[in-house]
Amino acid sequence: MLKLLAAGLIAGAAMIGTVRLVNADPVTITFRFNDTEQEVRGAIDEFQRENPDIKVDLQRIGWKDARNQFLREAAVGQGPDVAHVAQVWVTEMGDAGAVLPLDNFLKKDPPPNGFSDFAAKDLAKGKDGHVYGLPWTTDTWAMVYRTDLLKAAGIDTLPQSWDDLRKDSEAVYKKTGKAGFGYPAGSSASGAIWFLANFYWWSHGKALIVQKPGGSYALGVSVDDVANCMKYFKQFIDDGDNPQSNLAASDAHDPSIMQALVTGNQAMGAMPPNTYKEILQSYKEANPGKPVPFASAPFPHPGDNKSSMIGGRMLVINANTKHPDQAWKFVKFMASQQVFAKYYRTQFPAQVSLLKKIDFGAPLKGFAAQFQYARTWGPYASGPVPIGMMWNATDRAFGTALSGQTSPQDAAKHLLQEIGKSIPAKG
Amino acid sequence: MRDRLFITTMLLPTVVLLLLFYGYPIFDNLRISFTDLSLLGMRRGGNWVGLANYRELFHSGGFGHILFNTFVWLTATSVILRLLMGLGIALLLHTSALKQLRLAALARFALLIPWATPPIVAVVIWRFLLERNGAVNGALEALGIIDHPIAFLADMRTVWPSIVAIMLWNTVPLIALSLLSSLQTVPDEYYEAAELDGATNWQMFRFVTLPFLMPAILVLGLMSVFWSFNNFVYVWLATGAGPGTYTNVLATEVYLKAFVDFKLGYSSAIGMVMALIMGAFGIVYLRLVARQQLEETL
Repeated sequence: MLKLLAAGLIAGAAMIGTVRLVNADPVTITFRFNDTEQEVRGAIDEFQRENPDIKVDLQRIGWKDARNQFLREAAVGQGPDVAHVAQVWVTEMGDAGAVLPLDNFLKKDPPPNGFSDFAAKDLAKGKDGHVYGLPWTTDTWAMVYRTDLLKAAGIDTLPQSWDDLRKDSEAVYKKTGKAGFGYPAGSSASGAIWFLANFYWWSHGKALIVQKPGGSYALGVSVDDVANCMKYFKQFIDDGDNPQSNLAASDAHDPSIMQALVTGNQAMGAMPPNTYKEILQSYKEANPGKPVPFASAPFPHPGDNKSSMIGGRMLVINANTKHPDQAWKFVKFMASQQVFAKYYRTQFPAQVSLLKKIDFGAPLKGFAAQFQYARTWGPYASGPVPIGMMWNATDRAFGTALSGQTSPQDAAKHLLQEIGKSIPAKG
Repeated sequence: MRDRLFITTMLLPTVVLLLLFYGYPIFDNLRISFTDLSLLGMRRGGNWVGLANYRELFHSGGFGHILFNTFVWLTATSVILRLLMGLGIALLLHTSALKQLRLAALARFALLIPWATPPIVAVVIWRFLLERNGAVNGALEALGIIDHPIAFLADMRTVWPSIVAIMLWNTVPLIALSLLSSLQTVPDEYYEAAELDGATNWQMFRFVTLPFLMPAILVLGLMSVFWSFNNFVYVWLATGAGPGTYTNVLATEVYLKAFVDFKLGYSSAIGMVMALIMGAFGIVYLRLVARQQLEETL
């Protein structure tokens, strides 16, 4: 009898074990996202419903700290399984061994329309030729205008050239007392003036970093090019149409700039589409039923030169992940059409096939037009100088010139010396 | 001999623990400062470059400006003002008038609020207050003192005084409360005797109060110098070391070089220089100033 009872207990335990195996705990992967949770919450919930064996823990971190935090963690075998990164970080993260090559996943289980359907593919590769990131979203910067303030200043058409932009900004300030082109001129290593300076150089047919035909890299601007750019932007601050307090504003989405545009204290801004969407939303909430007095337009692009960037984000898988297959499944899902159609509507997809299906709508017409005059960062990302270092050095140098700490000529010379130090003699 | 062996044996675990806890990071930082380690190359490690990082640091164009900011603005100005204001507030709180009005407890409580506010919160609050449309500009405009808002944290004429003001708001209460507790230990008989001798208020302060406060002032001064010299939070959160490099200090330069330029080796070299400066200051201060003063006082 006792033997029978023991046998029964063992059989029961074995059955419970089997049941437990069948209902095994889901694998948990961590996703580190750098924008607001509500943008991706719905998509993550949908993924978990479709894949009950995978649980996704969402971590949030600000863009400012995202890259360094991930690199520090990855170097010691830690970090999230999947991370949201800027397109221009992927090459250096791949070279640092911080992220997993995706070539095998792309071969075995490719996204619909394959990898060739994605924009900014060149930025997804490391110097060893492996693919380290899946382009996720794409965007470009464009100019945004308060049409009511332009009208009040007697301006009927949007500026077409950099000179027009300067004159119109000044006119707004003189005639309405409001800020004209209020750009972020802060010196911290953030978006700030880095983007505007590059757009200015690109539109004049120059670039800070260029790749020579032989494959080596070099500085593509002279001291005078940099100094002239500094002098151009300095006029806005010196003449008061960009408030001096913007020397402390470090991003396009700095609250003081966004607020000034929403409340009608500033006529012009430069920004990515998600910032513009937030401004439109805030205006509508504050002024229900009123027509929206905003228009977007491309940056001046003399000679049809490029005057903005094709930027965006990628998803990478940590080299230390214990669940690479689940991480890839998640990455692929997040880049799918259903996510962009139903949930992640603040950004544009990086797949060209999906991008073509998007109706930008009237307020975003300028962004759609800007795409024709936009370029990728190319040699900036694949070249020898870490992009963060260039951001910092450029923002600092412009900060010293715009605030009057040094002359534009000296600041330009110092900037090129700093960056030049990191370019090997043979490029 | 046996006693000495016993004492040494008993102390050994603590000494080893302290060496591991404090010594290892210092030596590791020193080692890294002789390499070209980059944040992107942490898995590979850095290559030995000898004194190259130190040479680059001392020959860099901005080093003098960074040292000036660190010594003059961040440390000397803030420490001197902190001690003076702390002393003033402590004396005010110690007056009998405040006690008679039953405001002493309330004043002490009010003083605790800025002290209990974390520095990060203090800086964020002050950034709002000092904004173009902030309360400070609003008040100055309402009083007719200014016509146009001042960009306190972006204008080179106002940025350092603004940072120092934020630091003082957050840290003076600790100094004031510490000095107040020292003030309360001065025996009343000393003042009575001084009064009988016909001493003026200033003479009573100079020859009775101040000698009693001196040990506390010296210790608080030393601690304040260490806190201020190594401080990163106030400058970084208030200005990000800008406009340009105008408010860059050693602590923010360490961060910029390590986590923006990715030059961990170079950044470690700056850290070692900071540690050496503070170590030297501590030794000189204790040997020449503090010991002499303490001996005279006690």
